[in-house]
Amino acid sequence: MKQENIRNFCIIAHIDHGKSTLADRILEKTKALEKRELKEQMLDSMDIERERGITIKLNAVRLTYSYDNSEYYFHLIDTPGHVDFSYEVSRSLAACEGALLVVDATQGVEAQTLANLYLALDNNLTIIPVINKIDLPSANPDKVIKELEELGFSEEEIVLTSAKTGEGIEKLLETIIRKIPAPAGNKSNKLQALIFDSLFDPYRGVITSIRVVEGEVKVGDIIKMMETNAVYDVIGLSINTPKEEKKTSLKAGEVGYLYASIKSISDVHVGDTITLESNSATKKLPGYKPMKPMVYCGLYPIESSKFEDLREALEKLKLNDAALVYEPETSKALGFGFRCGFLGLLHMEITEERIEREFNIELIATSPSVVYEVILTDGSKTIVDSPTKMPKRELISKTLEPYVKSNIFTPSEYIGPIMELCQDKRGTFLNIDYLSQERVTINYEIPLSEIVYDFFDRMKSCTKGYASFDYEVIGYKESNLVKMDILLNGEIVDALSVIVHKDFAYNRGKTVVEKLKEIIPRQLFEVPIQAAIGTHVIARTDIKAMRKNVLAKCYGGDVSRKKKLLEKQKEGKKRMKKIGSVEVPQEAFLSILTTDTKK
Amino acid sequence: MIKHAYIHIPFCEKICTYCDFCKMFYHEKWVNEYLDQLEKEIKTKYNNDTLETIYIGGGTPSCLNIKQLEQLLEITTNLKKSTNLEFTIECNFENTTKEKLQLFHKFGVNRLSFGIETINKKQAEFLGRNISKKQIIKILNTAKFIGFTNINVDLMYAFPNQTIIDIKEDLEFLFSLDINHISTYSLIIEKNTKIGLQNIKSISEDLEYEMYNYICQELGKRGFIHYEISNFAKPNYKSKHNLCYWKNKEYYGFGLGASSYLENKRITNTRSLTKYLQEEYIKEEEIIIKEEQIEYEIILNLRTKEGINLKKFKNKYGIEVKDAYNYFSLLLHGLLKEEQENLFIPEDKWYISNEIIVKLLEGEKEV
Repeated sequence: MKQENIRNFCIIAHIDHGKSTLADRILEKTKALEKRELKEQMLDSMDIERERGITIKLNAVRLTYSYDNSEYYFHLIDTPGHVDFSYEVSRSLAACEGALLVVDATQGVEAQTLANLYLALDNNLTIIPVINKIDLPSANPDKVIKELEELGFSEEEIVLTSAKTGEGIEKLLETIIRKIPAPAGNKSNKLQALIFDSLFDPYRGVITSIRVVEGEVKVGDIIKMMETNAVYDVIGLSINTPKEEKKTSLKAGEVGYLYASIKSISDVHVGDTITLESNSATKKLPGYKPMKPMVYCGLYPIESSKFEDLREALEKLKLNDAALVYEPETSKALGFGFRCGFLGLLHMEITEERIEREFNIELIATSPSVVYEVILTDGSKTIVDSPTKMPKRELISKTLEPYVKSNIFTPSEYIGPIMELCQDKRGTFLNIDYLSQERVTINYEIPLSEIVYDFFDRMKSCTKGYASFDYEVIGYKESNLVKMDILLNGEIVDALSVIVHKDFAYNRGKTVVEKLKEIIPRQLFEVPIQAAIGTHVIARTDIKAMRKNVLAKCYGGDVSRKKKLLEKQKEGKKRMKKIGSVEVPQEAFLSILTTDTKK
Repeated sequence: MIKHAYIHIPFCEKICTYCDFCKMFYHEKWVNEYLDQLEKEIKTKYNNDTLETIYIGGGTPSCLNIKQLEQLLEITTNLKKSTNLEFTIECNFENTTKEKLQLFHKFGVNRLSFGIETINKKQAEFLGRNISKKQIIKILNTAKFIGFTNINVDLMYAFPNQTIIDIKEDLEFLFSLDINHISTYSLIIEKNTKIGLQNIKSISEDLEYEMYNYICQELGKRGFIHYEISNFAKPNYKSKHNLCYWKNKEYYGFGLGASSYLENKRITNTRSLTKYLQEEYIKEEEIIIKEEQIEYEIILNLRTKEGINLKKFKNKYGIEVKDAYNYFSLLLHGLLKEEQENLFIPEDKWYISNEIIVKLLEGEKEV
């Protein structure tokens, strides 16, 4: 295949705007698959992806398309659609020359439409704007065209499609050929191949998705990872069509898979550059960033006997998820578990869900925490990813927390509630942009910890679900942070401690103790619940002593009924965690997360 | 040797709004067929044991007509009775007459149990009951005149909108009746009862506790001994039949829905009259292995003032309670007490006895 007949592109969109369905339709039109072979949303291969409608792992596929008496290779690179994976998105964008920007004809432009568009522009991609779902009765393509015009596109270049009916797909394929440039690069240059994804295969080890930018890689070559200097023999090269097809080499401009007996996914860094060991390129491809977990939480098995099973589950997930980190952690309240780090909240939720679903381990997750920096009085810096690691107050000189620049996209009638929410979340106003009369983007600088703590829920409820939201981490800022402990019967429950801004501690403490009072049943003795900073109690309430737990009437000697009742009561206790002499239901550990959703 | 028998009469003239027990409306023909069948059931099961207690409960046994009652009591003459027999029948004031009382007396019934529940008009109405103080006094006087000395009345409390003053009035009336046994129950709103279906809410835990304490205190002042969670008696008037359950003794249960405990089997009779009349008496039968017998022993014994007699326990099961369960911390917190031969829940902790029993059972040791 001539290099000028190759087109590398991806599809970017806000969540649920029909990206995966559009990909399916393209596969069908290029006859990569017969219709009957086509499982709905072919490129999403994990169950959870299909259910949640989001793409977690990337996929690349080669399609053959004839146009104007020539054959073309399309390399379609699927990208994840969520902010947690924006680095992965940016690397797969870097593997392309063009992007289809898909906008739902009923929804219009949303926060991630913009975020993804900017990412694509940052990578100098040629953008083809696509308005999808035009078959729906509620579709309003004219309005969406206006919104896209605001973003600098002209009406003529916008392609209208319905991935459902197939309308507009032919035209889209032609537009791809005409508008997206063929890849540059020269196969005789020194090898530079970009790793834009990786996954673990139990038989072949780590498989990397690569885009050859310069040069050529062949089976048998000895390659080097430029970031880690690790060296491997290339055992195989292939490309999905979407069935796997073995190749002997991949040349500049081509996209495919490479495997090389790499045992651990942590040895492969997305964004790294592969070159040849003997004839190395001098420069890495730009844009590499190491992946850093932004959100941490403790994961504990509800049944303490399942600790080893949980370790195994995390090990298995880690094989395919370089961004997941974990280390064993012990909690007085919850026993043995793991402190786990995630790219963001969605990444965390998905991981928890996979452990529960695929490995059948019921979990208690402690309240998520961001990564704080603490400067001690001796000038040294400590990283705090768990409230239990917070140094004593007298040793702290200052505390810093990560901030994000948030980008909220909303119908203009909700500007008020959104600004109120952001102020409430310690946000600093940056600016507001009118995309049209009815649609605005609002930018705020907000501490990441405030986003982690019920921001999405509150944004959803104050905008009836119409606003969308995106953010990027912009760095650390000094902040007056304190560790707030929760005490049950005078004992600190480590799993309930949180780090909060001092000005918010009082309110937060009050809501948490009230919530716990609701959740924890009466005990044999009165139990005080306190929220405290150090030794200073900031909120308190009491769980009253139990006043009634007796079965009076025993009809005509039916004592088995009484025994069954007691057995049920005994079973119920098994699901409680004992903290000192207090029996605490599992939900209590989530309570710290779900407070004050309505204010 | 089985020493106790319960006989169930599942018929009522009126259905009380809170009742969750096996009952149905009185119907003359069904009662007649039922009594014939009851006689058959007793004949097939009864092993000629000498009985120390017989208890006829319901439903409302006293709602049967005089002829039917005679047939019922005639059936009991087939049972061998010890000389110190306690023979109880449950009655309602609405349908107990002098004639019926004389009949009971003639057949050796020596204990009457009346459901008063409350004399407060509004609350009685809420329960679906209607009796006047006058009627109560008249019937009790008649009973005493005929020669009944051992009489129980049931008192219920914790009704919606009830106050301590209401309870005080109920108690004062009971005391004026000069009876020697009182059973008290808090209103429990069960799912498939009239009030359960009306979605009536229970009163607050704290108020109920206050009422319970008040009742215990007042009954204590009047010389009633709180010998079991729900039962109070003047000295020598404890119900022997009631105690047989709490002492984990074996007993016969005859009639619709009745429970028996025979040869380490807990047997529950069917609640379906149709099946019962076709001689399909038994609904389920559960064999109680030793570990469960021990659990029953503990659960049941701890409802009484004496609690578990440690020596008897050892003799019966060949193991000490403390070797089967670790209850040290319960003793430490005063939730259990050990005095002389007995391990018991102190009376002032009975209101949370379920919680204490569950905690004790949780301390089960591997034996």
